[in-house]
Amino acid sequence: MRLIRLTIREMKEISFKNDVLPLKDKLFRLALRITLNREEAEDIVQDTLMKLWNQRDEWSAIQNMETYSMTICRNLSLDAIEKKERLNISLDETAHDRPDTSQTQDEELMKQQQLNTVMHIIGQLPEKQRTIMQLRDIEGKSYQEIADIMGINVSDVKVNLFRARQKVVGSINKEL
Amino acid sequence: MNYQYIEQLLDRYWNCETTLEEEQILRSFFSQADVPSHLKQYAAFFAYEANQKDEKLGEDFDRRILAMTEEEHAVEAKTVKFSTRIAPFFKAAAVVAVVLTIGNIAERALQKNTVSDTTVGITDTYTKKEDITAKIKIIDHTRSEAMAKTDSLKSQTPTISQENLIIE
Repeated sequence: MRLIRLTIREMKEISFKNDVLPLKDKLFRLALRITLNREEAEDIVQDTLMKLWNQRDEWSAIQNMETYSMTICRNLSLDAIEKKERLNISLDETAHDRPDTSQTQDEELMKQQQLNTVMHIIGQLPEKQRTIMQLRDIEGKSYQEIADIMGINVSDVKVNLFRARQKVVGSINKEL
Repeated sequence: MNYQYIEQLLDRYWNCETTLEEEQILRSFFSQADVPSHLKQYAAFFAYEANQKDEKLGEDFDRRILAMTEEEHAVEAKTVKFSTRIAPFFKAAAVVAVVLTIGNIAERALQKNTVSDTTVGITDTYTKKEDITAKIKIIDHTRSEAMAKTDSLKSQTPTISQENLIIE
């Protein structure tokens, strides 16, 4: 029996090093988008990968490793921010770095300040909206893929993406 | 220059009516240096998203994770190796024990059947008929001698008569 299992596993062999570990950057970007904290995001990626490693006996049953990984990553990220919200810690660390664009003439510096403003605008969005934006705009996922990762339906994805983009364009027109 | 197409795309983008390909067109447009001033505020947004695509973890992260998984893998392998290494020895020991026990019993059984020290070796092998006939003669002689001895021993053993039995 064991011999048969071993043979099947070899046929569908998913390698941690070649198939799972390379997802780390996508997972990092997602965790970063949700937690808005680099150290926290890195910890979450590590936790996600170790969780996947510990489930390696069940890998052959997983339909889409990327979708599955991102779901785990998101859930761990949500746990992390929930903890912070309970402790009343502000997520958005750029709040106190708000740039004063009226003062500077230097174009390079202005560009940087504009980027910070955009970062702040997006950081202000509810997690669901900014996660959907992340998966659509940065990771290039389809609405269906986003729905699968987040465990919601496609219409929910569209509605929240709409709200996110409307908020963004409104803020851009106001602040930039 | 007519930026009507881009402006239309932008409107559709904020309304979530664009396809992934159209969104890529917008990104490519705003990634260039020469963006018209009336569209510059959107450039910051697309530039920000383009930067976000480049966010990644370092190589030392990879090394750390692989070290952690290899550690676990090595422990797994070690455990398996040890028990699989032991098992055959136990099996072998069991077989040897059985063989020895049978051999011991067989030996004892064979010893019981031996008449005297002058018994012809059972393991002796003979190829010539004459040798075999000679050996049979010797065996016969030994046997009749043994029987005679048994008979004499029998006659020497005193029989206990009924009268001599004291029943108390």
